[in-house]
Amino acid sequence: MTQLALVIDLNVCVGCHSCVTSCKQWNTSSYTSGSMTDLNPYDEDPNGTFFNRVQTFEVGEFPNTDTIHFPKSCLHCEDAPCVPVCPTGASHKREKDGIVLVDYDKCIGCGYCSWACPYGARELDPREKVMKKCTLCVDRIDDETLPEEQRKPSCVIHCPTNARLFGDVHDPDSEVSVAIRERGGYQLMPEQGTMPANHYLPRYKNKITIHEDELQREDNPLKKEGHLPDPGSRASSIEDYSSF
Amino acid sequence: MKKPVLREVNDSMGFYALLALFGAIILIALGATYYMEHNGHWVTGMNNQIVWGMPHVFALFLIIAASGALNVSSIASVFGRYQYKPISPLSTVLAAALLLGGLMVLVLDLGRPDRLIVAMTYYNFKSIFAWNIILYNGFLAILVVYLWTQLDQTKNKYSKLAGFVAFFWRLILTTGTGSIFGFLVARQGYDAAIMAPMFIIMSFAFGLAVFMLVMFGAYKWTQRPLGDAIVRRLKNLLGVFIGAVLYFTLVFHLTNLYATEHHGVERFILMDGGIYTTLFWWGHFVIGGLVPLALLYLPQTGMKRSMIALASVLVILGGMAQLYVIIIGGQAYPLEMFPGMEVTSSFFDGVVGTYSPTLAETLLGIGGFAIAMLLVTFVARVLRLLPESLADDVVDPHHSKADA
Repeated sequence: MTQLALVIDLNVCVGCHSCVTSCKQWNTSSYTSGSMTDLNPYDEDPNGTFFNRVQTFEVGEFPNTDTIHFPKSCLHCEDAPCVPVCPTGASHKREKDGIVLVDYDKCIGCGYCSWACPYGARELDPREKVMKKCTLCVDRIDDETLPEEQRKPSCVIHCPTNARLFGDVHDPDSEVSVAIRERGGYQLMPEQGTMPANHYLPRYKNKITIHEDELQREDNPLKKEGHLPDPGSRASSIEDYSSF
Repeated sequence: MKKPVLREVNDSMGFYALLALFGAIILIALGATYYMEHNGHWVTGMNNQIVWGMPHVFALFLIIAASGALNVSSIASVFGRYQYKPISPLSTVLAAALLLGGLMVLVLDLGRPDRLIVAMTYYNFKSIFAWNIILYNGFLAILVVYLWTQLDQTKNKYSKLAGFVAFFWRLILTTGTGSIFGFLVARQGYDAAIMAPMFIIMSFAFGLAVFMLVMFGAYKWTQRPLGDAIVRRLKNLLGVFIGAVLYFTLVFHLTNLYATEHHGVERFILMDGGIYTTLFWWGHFVIGGLVPLALLYLPQTGMKRSMIALASVLVILGGMAQLYVIIIGGQAYPLEMFPGMEVTSSFFDGVVGTYSPTLAETLLGIGGFAIAMLLVTFVARVLRLLPESLADDVVDPHHSKADA
C-alpha cells in the first residue's frame, strides 16, 4: 500500500515559517479545507487555524547549545489514533495513499480526535466548527491538470532550503525512503505506537578526523633537499624557456 | 404499617414560580448558545489546546450525576431495601432528567449540533464516544420502562427485572464516560484504567447529593412529612460515597506518582498548577470532601437537615471542581513531545494552556441544571411521583426497634 508522507530535514530547516505561510495560503484558498478562519490576525492576540507549525527548542548546555527548528503538521500515522476515536467515522485514512483526512460533512465538531492525537495536530476551525488538519494538500495531489512536479504539498514546493521531501515511504526506492534509510530518518514519539508516516532527518555536523601525519608526505622531495627552492624575483623561470 | 400513597404535587403558585424560574434560566442558556453558535467557538474560552471547556464540566457532571441519581431506585429494586421503594420513582425521574440536561449541554457545545442526526446515523463502533451515544440513549429508554413498572401497579412485578437492567446499564454507562478519559493514551493526565471505577463512585456521590437536595426541596415546598429515618440512611450513604471518591482519587494520584513519566503532570496538578492546584486541594479535597464528611458525621451537625443539605451542595461544588481539574487541568498540561526541552513557538506549543471560562459557556452549563429541574418539577405535577408522606412510620415502621 502506498503511504504518502513528508520527510523533513532538520539539518537545513532554518525555521523561516515559509511552510507555515504557504500552507495557510494554499489551504485557505482551496475548496477542500475551507476558510481556515483567522480571527484578529494582526492584533496582539491572534487566533487562527494553522495546519503546520514550527516549534523551536534548544539542545545542549550553554554555551554548547544548538537551536532546533521542528516543523510539525499531521504525521499521517499508519495506525492513527484519531481515526478509531471519531464517533461518526469522519476521521479516516484514505486507502489508496494512506493520507489521514477528515470528512467535513460528517464531522460533528466534538473535538475528541484532538484529545487522542499525541502530536497536537488537530485544529478546530472556530468559525466552521469542524476539525481540520494537514491533508498533504490532497487537492494538489489529486489534480491531474497540474504538471506532475506540482502535485505535491504546498509546503514542499515553497521551502527555500528544500528541507521538505515528499513521497511514498513504502516504496524502498523513493527519494524519501532513501533519505530515511541513509540519513537516519526517525519518527516523532515512536513509543506511542502510532507509526507516524512523516519522518525527520536529524541534525548533524560534518566532521572528519585527520591526524597530523596524514598531512605530512613522507616522500616529499623538498624534505630531502632540506630547504625550499627560493629563486629570486629576477631569476629565470620556466616561462623564459617556453616556446611562446 | 401505612401503605405509602404516591400523589402528584398540587397546582400552586410555587409550582408555576419554579417553572418560570427554570424556564427563564433555560432561555438565557439558549441565548448564550445562540451567541456562541452565531459567532463561532472563538468567543468561548476554548482554543486548540483546551478543546473542552466549562460546558463539558457541567455536561459530564450532569451525566455522571444522572447515573448516581438512580442509587435509591437501585437500592430498592436490586438490593431489596423496601424502605426506599416509595421514593424510587423520584430517583428514576431525576436520573432521566439529569441525563437529558447533561446531553443538552453536551450537544449544544458540539461544534456542529445541527449534525446530531449524523451522530445518530453514522456509528464508528471503535469509538468509545459512539458507544456513549448508544449508552445514553439506551439508559433513557430503560429509565422510561423502569418508571412505568414502578408507577403502574399492574406492571409492578417487572420492576425488579427493570431495576436490574437499569443498574447494570448505568454501571456500563459510567464506565463508558470514565473511559472517554481512561482510554486516552495521548495525554499525560489520563490513560488510567482506574478512571472508569472512579467515575462510577463519583456518580454515586454526585447523584445522591443532587437527589437529597431535590428530595428536601420537594418535601419542604409541598409541606409533606419527611422523617429522619430515610434522611439518616441516605446521609450516611452519602458519607461513605464521599470517602470512596477520596480513596479513588488517592489511588489514582499515588499510581501516577509511582511512574516517573507522570511526575510532571502530577506536579502540575498537585503543586504548581495555579488554579488547578487550588481547585484540587480546596475545591475537591476540602470543600467537596473533608467539610461535607465532617458535616455529615459530627454529632453537632449530622442530623440537622440544613447541614445535610449544605453538605450535599458542597459535594456538588466539589464534584464540579474535581471535573474541572480532570477535564481542563489535564488539557492545560502541554503535550510532552520533546521531554526535557523547553519548547517555544508562535502557536502556544509547549506551554501550559490558558483557559478562562466565559459567561456564555457557564450560562449554557447552568441551563443543563435548569432543564433537569424543570423536568422533575413538571413530572412531579403530572405523574403520581412523590409519596404523600415519608414519615418514619411510613418508611420503616421498625426503625426505632432497629436503632435500639
